[in-house]
Amino acid sequence: MDLGEYLPRLGDGLVVSLQLTVISVLLGYAVGLLFALGVSSANPWLRWPSVTLVEIGRGIPALVVLYIVYYGLPSAGLLFDSFPAAAIGLTFTAAAYSSETIRAGIRSVPAGQREAAAALGLGRATTFRRVVLPQGLRSAIPALMGLAVQSFQTTSLAYSISVNELMGQAYQAGAVTFRYLEVYAITGLLYAAIAVPATWLSVYAERRLSHGYL
Amino acid sequence: MPASLTAVLLGLPLTLVVTAAAFALGAVGGIPLMLGLRSRFTPVRLLVRLAVDLLRGVPTIVWLFLLYFGLAVGDVRLNSLGAAILGLGLVASAYLAEIYRGGFAVVPKGQTEAAQALGLSRTTTFVRLLAPQALRTVLPTVTTFLLMLLKDSSLASTVGVLEMTAQATAFSRQNVSTAGLTPFFVAAGVYIAISVPLAIAARVLDARLSGSH
Amino acid sequence: MTASLFTPAGEAATAGVTIANLAKSFGSHLVLDDISVTVRPGSVTALIGPSGSGKSTLLRCVNLLETPDAGTITVGAQTVHAGRRIADRDLLALRRQVGMVFQSFNLFPNLSVLRNVALPQQKVLGRSREEAEERALALLDRVGLRDKAQQHPQRCSGGQQQRIAIVRALALDPRAMLFDEPTSALDPEVGVEVLAVMRELARDGMTMIVVTHEMQFARDVSDHLVVMADGRIIEEGHPATIMAEPAQERTRRFLSAVLER
Repeated sequence: MDLGEYLPRLGDGLVVSLQLTVISVLLGYAVGLLFALGVSSANPWLRWPSVTLVEIGRGIPALVVLYIVYYGLPSAGLLFDSFPAAAIGLTFTAAAYSSETIRAGIRSVPAGQREAAAALGLGRATTFRRVVLPQGLRSAIPALMGLAVQSFQTTSLAYSISVNELMGQAYQAGAVTFRYLEVYAITGLLYAAIAVPATWLSVYAERRLSHGYL
Repeated sequence: MPASLTAVLLGLPLTLVVTAAAFALGAVGGIPLMLGLRSRFTPVRLLVRLAVDLLRGVPTIVWLFLLYFGLAVGDVRLNSLGAAILGLGLVASAYLAEIYRGGFAVVPKGQTEAAQALGLSRTTTFVRLLAPQALRTVLPTVTTFLLMLLKDSSLASTVGVLEMTAQATAFSRQNVSTAGLTPFFVAAGVYIAISVPLAIAARVLDARLSGSH
Repeated sequence: MTASLFTPAGEAATAGVTIANLAKSFGSHLVLDDISVTVRPGSVTALIGPSGSGKSTLLRCVNLLETPDAGTITVGAQTVHAGRRIADRDLLALRRQVGMVFQSFNLFPNLSVLRNVALPQQKVLGRSREEAEERALALLDRVGLRDKAQQHPQRCSGGQQQRIAIVRALALDPRAMLFDEPTSALDPEVGVEVLAVMRELARDGMTMIVVTHEMQFARDVSDHLVVMADGRIIEEGHPATIMAEPAQERTRRFLSAVLER
């Protein structure tokens, strides 16, 4: 088998990786926002389950999460195909990490903002929704961008549950051509080609955002 | 249930060995990389910048596979453990180099000026004055990184190291009908159980250091 | 008579400082415009003027924390020419002769007060640890801070930290001392302690160049007043004379604004 034949397959794999990334980031951050609200809630029935899920999501390796969803859940009657299993696992991990980032962003909004809103007579829910949350999310953007890049890199673990994303394709290409060095080098460069500029972008975003309002 | 716990715990020593060895490699390796990032010579700085960005931009598992499958001098290859430690250690040194760099950036410029005004050499200034202050600043971030490295040690399972994740997977495969979720939950539990005392120790260390500082 | 704060090193105890035709720009902004001034050995020169006049930059050129674009700086017998690359050895020799005290103290937080004063002696003058610490304790005792020796600087008040900073510089037996707004970061009542130490130093004959906003100190202690504005020296002479009868309108405006506060 020729290495050249496998390059397009690597490209296909990259597309799958990007699909997984987009899903896990969009869904994950949305769930992460819910987790963040749950963790900050005064209601213990909301807080404790949220805290538990977040600590689990942040405390166990992403690889283990993927194995649990793919190999473990079937015994509880939940069978998932590779791709959905990976999407669920990566979304969960992204949600747990992003919830902490979002919470930090919300906490960083100066107390004076809440005080001013209170002095104006705005209710707590309105203050949160229209004053605190928008500013909190804005200051969390650079970190969330960094997390997105990490999510993209984490999709490489999905090969272990038979997803044909970039790493999975690379593994097959290597096993068939035996040209491991070239295959994995190209794979690495493909990941880097996206991850490195994306990181530069998030650094740039951080610099630009820090010049505007706090 | 005890059977899966025993199986998972069989992998604990290797989990700890991989984590500790990779961390040691990264903590030491991060120093020359950080010095390179701060170098006054632009070509050096750009080269190291590229190396660090590549180390962090390429997923860790790709580095592991490159080292395990791709690296061969004649018939000599790295074994599983070696590839895992080297791969994780190289990536760790890139992350720690950035962390170190952040620590130095926060040391007030007046410290360097006072040292210069006193006539202290650049080496003395760096080793005796700047580095201790920078290290104290970055210690919390470094412990957070160590916890992350503990989780990343699970990647060693993909190149054949029989640490906890590998043991859990093997146990699950060998007992498909009976084991179910248990071995993975057990592994998850052990990972969390280890990180909790580490996190507490880190917080204590941080508090003690900021007390005398 | 109480022992002096510093030990005169041989015959040429303190050095004079001569600045000739110094020029410095930051980007396109000309900060020092052809400055020439002579500070005689043992004299106390006060450098005053509005913000942005270049006085701190001028001071920092003396020990080459800033590199001038043109002109020469002479400390004692050593001359440095701007534009010409200075050897590390000569740079260190220059800095060894001149001590500097900063507005933000810049004590080393990872070392105890004693080690702050002793370490530079060991590294720069090659003194043994015992000798350095003995000298450090003697100097700290002299300014009444011996009991702080084992503590870290952060635990000391601002006035104490600045006095320790002065002692740290004095421990190296400099032949001239530079002060960059030493009391600007201190409350007035606390600044008095620091000014008292500086008065003693002046009385003992140390060559001092002090950038300051403390007009009382300038009038009482200094014997040479240099007024700067817009990168130039606009007036120079005896403090009492200038402050009573400023020759320049600019000086008059500055003094009346400062003395009014």
